Amino acid sequence: MAKLVLSAGGSILYQCFLDQERVNVGSEPRNQIVIDDPVVDAEHAVIIPVGNDHILEDLQSVNGTFVNGTRAFRHILQHGDVVQFGGFFLRYLNPRASADMDLERTMLIAGLHGRVDAAPRGSGPPPEEARVPSARLASIRFPKGRVRVIAGIRTGDTIELDRVVATFGRPGDRLAVITRRPHGYFITHVEGRRYPRVNRQSVGKEVRLLHHGDVIQVADQQLEFLLD
Amino acid sequence: MAHKFIAMAAVTDVGNVRQFNEDSIVTDAELGVAALADGMGGHRAGEVASHMATQIILSGLQIRVAQFRSGAGQPSPLRAIDQSINRANQAVFDAAQRQATYHGMGTTLALALFYDNRIALGHIGDSRIYRLRNDVLQLLTRDDSLLRDQIELGLISATDAGASHNRSLVTRALGIEQSIRAHLREDEASPGDIYVLCSDGLNDLVEDADIELIVSALKTNLPLAATHLVQAAKDNGGYDNVSVILAKILKPFPAASHRRWLARLFGWLG
Repeated sequence: MAKLVLSAGGSILYQCFLDQERVNVGSEPRNQIVIDDPVVDAEHAVIIPVGNDHILEDLQSVNGTFVNGTRAFRHILQHGDVVQFGGFFLRYLNPRASADMDLERTMLIAGLHGRVDAAPRGSGPPPEEARVPSARLASIRFPKGRVRVIAGIRTGDTIELDRVVATFGRPGDRLAVITRRPHGYFITHVEGRRYPRVNRQSVGKEVRLLHHGDVIQVADQQLEFLLD
Repeated sequence: MAHKFIAMAAVTDVGNVRQFNEDSIVTDAELGVAALADGMGGHRAGEVASHMATQIILSGLQIRVAQFRSGAGQPSPLRAIDQSINRANQAVFDAAQRQATYHGMGTTLALALFYDNRIALGHIGDSRIYRLRNDVLQLLTRDDSLLRDQIELGLISATDAGASHNRSLVTRALGIEQSIRAHLREDEASPGDIYVLCSDGLNDLVEDADIELIVSALKTNLPLAATHLVQAAKDNGGYDNVSVILAKILKPFPAASHRRWLARLFGWLG
């Protein structure tokens, strides 16, 4: 369960658990969290629970609301966030809400749309998109590699391998893919009767790890693999 | 059918963290059916719900497509998938009522039926169906998820959504209530199209741009493309089950050809 801890001058003034109620922050006594500071408005900010999240919203306050030193108008609170109101600090604690990894299992919850149940039916253009970014772990690092074309089309070119896959050869004839993974680059045959070769050895149907300096032959192209 | 009009490749993987795989996938390329379900519920009930849903839907559609092909009754793919989804919903709901350990179980669903040069798709929850056409990936479904609602209502921006913990909260699921209205859609399916059905374990971890790149770069080797997608999700964390079905249209598949063939057969029989 999430918790709020209000402190000033290094001492804790107040703490409370956050459940499914809104929590208002301001200088007036009617707020759940009362902060008596000249820079704090009567109704300064509000914390709204939505699903697993708590969203902090600034209520157009004169002096603003700052999260970890940055002015915020609307912010999804993260475990350990510190919200500053003048000389007061409001700390948000929610071990479940560490952005690094979300182990929550799929669960059912009531939707927000009043009319979301009116499911679109029949044919028609695809729905317009509101893209949700992926939640790839920030801690994952990928190696940096590239190939230099030694022979064949684009001889002399250097091609950065900065995406998850890059294909080489001729589509429909002989094609190989170089895959970027956290622990290195790998080459695999995609199509065609002849397999790619690495240092003159056929890769066959195997997935092969590439080493710095490896020479790859795919169709008419010869490539040198380089790793930082 | 002697000549395939569609090629399919499917992979389901428990991921790096979870103990059980609650996803379930079924494909029948001859019939033109692909279904993927991501179950939810305690005590492995999620597994039960997703398996029940996909199996019931597949067996229901096997019968219906056979009827379409034999000319018995008017072919209506959208109605067929709607009915099969409702049957599955009823069965999962009933099982959850009967057995305490199954109480509250449910499942998402992404379903595609390819018939007569068209795709009929049914969808519930946050599993997705994309289409790759001319190397451009387009999302054909709208997630029933709290995060999606929040973005649509302007409560949070799409960029802020990455910081949300509401990713796994779905607003609709199969098997939770006595009846369900799935999202249904029909569209043209053209040769070269590749349809991607996936559980959120894929699109939560792999950006759409990378899904597009992998499928278009490896479209001549569907099994390799499918394993690459799952591998990319696992390389990016893989904290959920990951499932993918790829369905590639190889050539036009008008229903008329079946009927013509049948007409000829009956003509020949006298």
